Amino acid sequence: MYLKRILVLGASMVALALVTTSCGSTGGPSSSASPKGTVTVASFNFSESIILAHIYGGALKNKDYTVNYRDKLGNREIVEPALENGQIDLYPGYAATDLNFVDKRQGVDLEAGTDAATNVQKLNARLSSKGIKALDASPAVDQNAFAVSKAAADQNHLVKLSDVSAVASGWTLGGPPECPQRPFCQQGLESVYGLHFKAFKALDAGGPLTYAAFKSGAINIGLVFSSDGGISANNLVVLEDDKHLQQADNIVPLIRTAVANSEVSALLNSIDAKLNTPDLTAMNKSADIDKQDPADLAATWLKNHGF
Amino acid sequence: MNFANQVLQWFLNGAHWQGDGGIPHRTLEHLAMSGASVLVAALIALPIGIGIGHFGRGGILAINISNIGRAVPSFAVLVIAVELFGIGARPAFIALVALAIPPMVTNSYIGMREVDADVREAARGMGMRDRAVLWRVELPIALPLIMAGIRTSAVNVVATATLAALVAWGGLGRFIVDGFGLQDYPMMFAGAIMVAILSLIVEFSMAGVQRLTTPAGLRPSKPVQKEEPLGTARDTAMVAA
Amino acid sequence: MLATGVVGAVEDPWIRWSWVSGHVDVITAALVQHIELTLIAVVIGLLIAVPLGLVAWRSRVFRGPIFSLTGILYTVPSLALFSALVPFTGFTILTAEIGLVSYTLLILIRNIVVGLNSVPDEVREAARGMGYRPLAELVRIDIPLAVPAIVAGLRIATVTTIGLVTVTALIGEGGLGSLIYDGLLRDFKTPLVVGTVLSVALAFVADLSLAGAQRLITPWSRTRATT
Repeated sequence: MYLKRILVLGASMVALALVTTSCGSTGGPSSSASPKGTVTVASFNFSESIILAHIYGGALKNKDYTVNYRDKLGNREIVEPALENGQIDLYPGYAATDLNFVDKRQGVDLEAGTDAATNVQKLNARLSSKGIKALDASPAVDQNAFAVSKAAADQNHLVKLSDVSAVASGWTLGGPPECPQRPFCQQGLESVYGLHFKAFKALDAGGPLTYAAFKSGAINIGLVFSSDGGISANNLVVLEDDKHLQQADNIVPLIRTAVANSEVSALLNSIDAKLNTPDLTAMNKSADIDKQDPADLAATWLKNHGF
Repeated sequence: MNFANQVLQWFLNGAHWQGDGGIPHRTLEHLAMSGASVLVAALIALPIGIGIGHFGRGGILAINISNIGRAVPSFAVLVIAVELFGIGARPAFIALVALAIPPMVTNSYIGMREVDADVREAARGMGMRDRAVLWRVELPIALPLIMAGIRTSAVNVVATATLAALVAWGGLGRFIVDGFGLQDYPMMFAGAIMVAILSLIVEFSMAGVQRLTTPAGLRPSKPVQKEEPLGTARDTAMVAA
Repeated sequence: MLATGVVGAVEDPWIRWSWVSGHVDVITAALVQHIELTLIAVVIGLLIAVPLGLVAWRSRVFRGPIFSLTGILYTVPSLALFSALVPFTGFTILTAEIGLVSYTLLILIRNIVVGLNSVPDEVREAARGMGYRPLAELVRIDIPLAVPAIVAGLRIATVTTIGLVTVTALIGEGGLGSLIYDGLLRDFKTPLVVGTVLSVALAFVADLSLAGAQRLITPWSRTRATT
């Protein structure tokens, strides 16, 4: 009799487990994938990437593809390899940074330049053997930028990045953990501008931790993104990249060739043609400052542009 | 190079032992933060727990504060502290103190309550005043459990300090978080090993201190077989988060 | 932005109800995932702990190593344990569950052993006198009497697991932890608060349910004060 009680209890626990598991399967494809196939879209750890991923994904969904999202999957060190080994099918890349990243991974000299189309061409040359294609670059650009507080800029007469050489040795640079190893980040600041900072503080990629570090004075100069909504809101100024460290980081979809049929490619290319930097900046601001949902912002953009 | 070799090479790399980002500095940072938070938490928690235990009021709160503390995820406490106080050492410190308080309150309360009523009676019968009863009778008997509470808190704090690297603090968690960001698995794994070793060292040292501070008369003469199970009022161990 | 406030921007209240009502599906999915991860960890933990607990109870030789190993697993901080597993098992549910299960073991095994030890000798002797064979005695007498202690351990293990599931947000899982993590990444207080409150609520519900379940299956303990 007593044993029966335990068995009943155990059975109800197992039943509960089964019910909740079947009730809410998070992040798996729905039971019947569309005949057109499934596309898994990933994004980096910041709002703009999520917005772009949902723009691409939303348009595909409207054309009856089944779309799975892996939002905030990580930084490029996580996302690009995931594309190479087929765990994801598509992510919104940045032409110059992705090219240099792939070059470094393949052990060749860095080739990114100031022309987006050339960068894309080279990306395709490097990635075709991995079954990946870079589609058309968009006029919309978001590249690394370095900002200082307005007060510091006024005090030290800083307008361009070269001006920082006067103060660099006593300054702390802030950026994402991978910054010291990235050619468009600390590595580039050292090699192109000759800026050797006193210290580096690992924060995030132009996110809340970076802004907080500016506010508390923990860093003097930090990595932000040129289309970021928080720059002016936080009393920061971006220093001009007078030696052209940053290359053409236009937005470009990186997609597995297996998934890139003519309809998909045409669709994504036409989206790219309509994306522009001011729109992107405005959407970033809505997401980061006004706390709106990246997915909602993407849906609005799609509607406004007829996708 | 297989993975174990890569990790070994990471440890053998001299650059990883130097400077602010090096192993010795990060270890000291970690220990200093942990020690300071446990100390401050003890200064707050022990008087409360001992006081409640001595006067016998508010016991329900003292017992349940650990249950509540266990139910609140330390990750959340850390992020909330950052929202309130900014990034860096300050929110880490505040969050760690907050996390360290409950086990010390509960354990010191229970330690005080476990003092046999007869022993208290005898002490009073001998003419001891209230304060003497507290210091010369109750506290020595309660000491093992008070130490157990401090030990639990210390191990929890060392563990949660690892998470604080996520909010731009330092410590040994830095190697895990940065290794993660760089996808440098040897660094990440090395960080994990160091944190694990540090936690174990703290656990065993505190166990030793606990044994040393147990009055000889209270030490079990043979290994304790019939200990109280975890989860009844006596033991308030929390898992390191 | 954080704490000191962004100049000229909208202040971020601790709860934006508009976000909550607009994200019921996201919140529910996080809650369900949290429950799933917890249930899997605790059930598997129990399945491993019961046989190990029985062995540790009976065998002096194995007791030490079992407690030492599970004790070490218990002491290692969760972020360290998950990070150590990632190079081998990736950013998967498996990694999360291996870590989560490890943390339940010490608590469960210890309570199983102590619970079984607490069965009075007279009761055992009486059982043997009545003709119970060892297996029957175990199942009919020892385990039922050990239930209060075992459930006490189950309660702690469950509440602890619920807290630890939040850390799995860092390896791509997370349950309610993904709301907390989102709050950190975007400096957004609402999901942080929602994730925390629901996590605590879930812990209380689980704890009370288990306590209630214990009373159901051990009616003889209802008259004694339960802790």
